Amino acid sequence: MTRTFRNRRTALLYILPALFLILSLVFLPIVLNLYNSLFRWNSFDPGRTFVGLEYYIRLFKDPVFYTALKNNSLYAIISLVFQVGGGLIIAAILEDKLIRRFQPFFRTIFFIPSVISIAVVGLLWQLLYNPEVGLVNGALKAIGQAEWAHSWLGDSEVAIYAVVAVSQWQYTGYMAMLFLIAMQKIPFEYYEAAMIDGASRIKTFFNITVPQIKEMLLVGSVITVIGAFKVFDEVYIMTFGGPGRSTEVLGTMLYRSAFRNDEMGYASTIGTIVFVITLTLSLVQLKLGKSGQEV
Amino acid sequence: MKIKAKLLLVAMLALSLFVAGCSSSSSTNEEESGKVVLKFLHKWPQPEFAPYFEEVVKEFEKQNPDIKIKMEAIADEPIKDKLRVILGGNEVPDIMFSWSGEFARKFVRADAALDLTPYLNEDAAWKDSFIPASLQPFSADGKNYGIPLRFNGKFFIYNKEIFEKYNLEAPKTWDEFLDVLETLKKGGETPIILGNQSPWAAIHYLTGLNQKMVSQDIRMKDYNPGSGEFTDSGYVKAMEMFADLNKKGYLMKDANSSSHDMAKQLFFAGKGAIFYVELEEFADADKNMKGNWGFFPMPSIEDGNGSQNYITGAPDGFIVSSKTKHPEEAIKFLKFLTSKESALKLVEQIGWPSPIDGATNPDTALKEVAEGVDFMKQAEGMAEWLDTDVHAKVADVYLTNIQLLLDGSKSPEAIIKEVQDVAKQVQSEVE
Repeated sequence: MTRTFRNRRTALLYILPALFLILSLVFLPIVLNLYNSLFRWNSFDPGRTFVGLEYYIRLFKDPVFYTALKNNSLYAIISLVFQVGGGLIIAAILEDKLIRRFQPFFRTIFFIPSVISIAVVGLLWQLLYNPEVGLVNGALKAIGQAEWAHSWLGDSEVAIYAVVAVSQWQYTGYMAMLFLIAMQKIPFEYYEAAMIDGASRIKTFFNITVPQIKEMLLVGSVITVIGAFKVFDEVYIMTFGGPGRSTEVLGTMLYRSAFRNDEMGYASTIGTIVFVITLTLSLVQLKLGKSGQEV
Repeated sequence: MKIKAKLLLVAMLALSLFVAGCSSSSSTNEEESGKVVLKFLHKWPQPEFAPYFEEVVKEFEKQNPDIKIKMEAIADEPIKDKLRVILGGNEVPDIMFSWSGEFARKFVRADAALDLTPYLNEDAAWKDSFIPASLQPFSADGKNYGIPLRFNGKFFIYNKEIFEKYNLEAPKTWDEFLDVLETLKKGGETPIILGNQSPWAAIHYLTGLNQKMVSQDIRMKDYNPGSGEFTDSGYVKAMEMFADLNKKGYLMKDANSSSHDMAKQLFFAGKGAIFYVELEEFADADKNMKGNWGFFPMPSIEDGNGSQNYITGAPDGFIVSSKTKHPEEAIKFLKFLTSKESALKLVEQIGWPSPIDGATNPDTALKEVAEGVDFMKQAEGMAEWLDTDVHAKVADVYLTNIQLLLDGSKSPEAIIKEVQDVAKQVQSEVE
């Protein structure tokens, strides 16, 4: 009895440093952020005024907040379709025995974008999207679709799609890679058995491949969706929320409030909302993820 | 007992790690050896500018062996964030960069800037060495809070070859300006090059138009965060005039998709006739166009209520932290930085116009830069950049909406309405 007790005390001793760090670097800031959102303050002035829930009320009345939410959701949906859906299809094609011997080549090609720094990607696409000298409009003209040419990042109607598209270009290959790894763990006997039974390729894909990599699909979707609500850098570099506020996402809205408009309290409020959204999504993940042992 | 001791040890270890992490940068060797250390923050880390500052600092340290300058440089955009972050902490530099106008007054309101008036009054020779229009934008309530380092004005530059082709001359009035643009457009040229990806580029047009359309008293009252209303009809008219340039097809297409630098390259390549630039860009223009360019200030507007003899522009400079322990030494350094020798070197070495009277002359600077400074000296006053002269939140409304004005999704009335709403909100927040 005393022994277990002692062990627990010792265990606590080992946990303590990490616990201390997590408490002070993760949990304390969350609580502080909540507290800060109740005050009007800026970094220039040491003084603060208590405003209570005023900023929360203002946020829910702020049209930009809904633009941001809409843009984040667009990010999530489009990313689910392209990164998870598209990634899965790419992975399935690469795993097909006809293509498999070229797989290393394609794998590298598809994976490259995801290892380039976002700052570089942002600047690169800014140039590609340029209506005068950019490659995108040039390519459209070359294939005879000149009327599709656009001022991609400069038009408040299409800019957000142009920004979201860059993300798809960058991360679809990454997702495909995750799915490939999962697929390679599926025992070949399953496919052999299916072949003997005369199942078509499509059928084996839906009845063997997809169920076997269910866990990875789930993880992929959750990463994508949470990532979509935390997105900041691509938008910051390519448009900074513009033209107007049309490409604003929660991340850039927070940044703008804090570091341009000197409203730290409002920024904290947005931070709290981002926290609530991502926490909810993580809880959903935990709930859905319970079925599996892997990951 | 043993465990308690262990526990204590671990706790102390964790704590000491934490404390060490927090206070790594406080004391330095120089302080111990009796030297005064001044922290100096500016915004020119670029390789073409940084050497100048290094040289000046080295020279100053040689002349003042008991003072050590710790210099840090952070680029234009990031320094806007950096200043906000450091002011919240305890590591405020003694001397730091600031734009003039509202940006500097923000420091003043927060009691973060040292009042420099007594130091300037003490040394009349120093005070008189500045062109008066360069000190004024750094003042609030009749006190001086900043020392200008460079002087910047905004001018239209034009491609001489294109102008000659159509027999055009630099316009003096807005109507003449419109005629010039119409001729250029009919000739199939792009009349004005504009890169508005960062919307300050278009806001600089509005800076001048607002100043020329709205009377000085009303504009100053509106630009003050405590009393801003923006109800004068001149604000809408100014914005309409700018929107008209776009509607009539005088501005480059898809301006929102090009950065100012990209636009500059287009202009240098002869792809457009007129481009609105700052004085500090003149050297660049001359390098790329070799005499094939001229310049003129924003033309006067006949029915404008503001003074027509103003130049758009403002000085950039430095403020001293109110928390500094060494105000005397900081002033000494600023005096050195703005001495005639340093100013001459600034003009010669990097081509910036200096606020020191006489430093920018045809011998040290490009002929056009010297002429530009003359324009500024003769002007009645300066219209400071709209985006740093009004409260940050008002500026934000102007900046984001000017892009929507250009892509046609918002009208001038709607934008000014939004400006008025924010101004009201700001008024209630600034005591």
